[in-house]
Amino acid sequence: MTVEALSRAGNGPAFIPVDIGHDVYAAVTDPNTAFWALVDKTRIHEEITGGPLLDSYRAKADSFARELHALRFELKPSGVYLNPTERCNLNCTYCYLPGEQRSNGSHMPPETLNASLGKLRDYFRSVMPEERKPRAIFHGAEPLMNKEAVFSAIDAFSEDFVFGLQTNGTLLDDAALEFLTSRNVSIGLSLDGPFAGITDATRKTWGGKSVHDKVLAAMKKLKGYGSWSVITTCTTENLPYLTQMVELFHASEVPTCMLNTVRCTLPGARGVKPADGDMAKSFFAAMDRTHELYRETGRKLIVANFANILIGILAPTARRLMCDISPCGGGRAFFALAADGGLYPCSEFIGLPRFNGGNLLAEGGVEAALASAAFQTVTTRDVDTFSPCGDCAIRHFCGSPCPAEAYEMNGGMEKTGAFCEFYKEQVNYALRLIADGKANDYLWDGWDGDTETVFNHALN
Amino acid sequence: MQQTKSKQHPQTAATVSAAPAPIIAVRKSCNPDGIGLSHYVLMDKKVAK
Repeated sequence: MTVEALSRAGNGPAFIPVDIGHDVYAAVTDPNTAFWALVDKTRIHEEITGGPLLDSYRAKADSFARELHALRFELKPSGVYLNPTERCNLNCTYCYLPGEQRSNGSHMPPETLNASLGKLRDYFRSVMPEERKPRAIFHGAEPLMNKEAVFSAIDAFSEDFVFGLQTNGTLLDDAALEFLTSRNVSIGLSLDGPFAGITDATRKTWGGKSVHDKVLAAMKKLKGYGSWSVITTCTTENLPYLTQMVELFHASEVPTCMLNTVRCTLPGARGVKPADGDMAKSFFAAMDRTHELYRETGRKLIVANFANILIGILAPTARRLMCDISPCGGGRAFFALAADGGLYPCSEFIGLPRFNGGNLLAEGGVEAALASAAFQTVTTRDVDTFSPCGDCAIRHFCGSPCPAEAYEMNGGMEKTGAFCEFYKEQVNYALRLIADGKANDYLWDGWDGDTETVFNHALN
Repeated sequence: MQQTKSKQHPQTAATVSAAPAPIIAVRKSCNPDGIGLSHYVLMDKKVAK
């Protein structure tokens, strides 16, 4: 947009035009409030320089700015990632946890885990409404390497937390599945390929054995359970197979999956990092396939990481994941507890000692960690303040994740994350879906049940 | 016009040719208290099994 056009628009919030690659529509955004509109692209100049849309938006801009500010800076933690062990029975290429910890690390003793959950319960009670429970996700390394402690804790604190478990699936025997499903624990698995040869490229035991069939067996047993998901980490190794991945997931009645870009925090992951353009091409082919499958069967496979981008556009405060916003959720919406009792903004930082905010069971506990310099380094990372994000029209639909990557891979918190161009394409794709009236096909049924419409230009 | 597209520019599966409305602009809002995790999506549904 030219300076002349901005001048004609007068004082106050203004629009930035964005080419989304649609036949009919272009977008205009005000990135300061995460506002967007789709306009006939033959009329974009008129919409930017004045008229009913700009007038309607300006009447609401202050309230949108307040909403976004509250979302970005005023949340209190409501979730914790619990790492009950440093150990993992797999040696995945891209893991963000150091290999020495995963191979020779320690378990958190059961009594320490229980003491930790007690302290966390007290903390969350002090900051959350009484009617809501905090979320506690057992995470890894592989949490089921310390199964007895984990299961004991789930039973001891069943009234205090909503529990989830992210596992590689290899230790999910029938007894473990019965324990977890009977207690309504949300279960996340990991699988990287539609067949063993692809999964094995990145996810194997320390001895090099395949775990593909074990994960498939766990998926088969979870079929029909209401609360499970599967994560695929997208790398150079499996990118050509993402469409087959979603076909496998849909056939297996996986309710929700994630097709996450590999996190490039540690050097091992960077060796399998796909180029942004390749990632976009394969990812959108897979997304298109999920839509075809939905049209063919009437059953959705939700790709949660993309659904979150879409929801972040349609209803910023309704998003479920807090990677795609700046500051991200690490250290403010949630935090992570390492097996040694250390507190980190997110599990992604556990291999990086400089981000240790202190020990949970030490004096000060969570509050001290939240106020620590280690956490503040992450929680003050603000895309408004550094280039090129500060001038980006979609910066609050993206958030430039992930700060761990930005710091370790790109050289600082005021750097972009690892997949800037891919994020732009995701937002364009999402806006095209909205333009075509298809957005709800990619979202959980009833996703907006607790929302109210606060802007609808047709009604203004 | 800001280009947020890279060289790769895949289209959606089926792009309509006629515009249903000259402008589409919708925003929804809700209480954000307690939202959000990162690596893990918590499925809140009750067990169907």
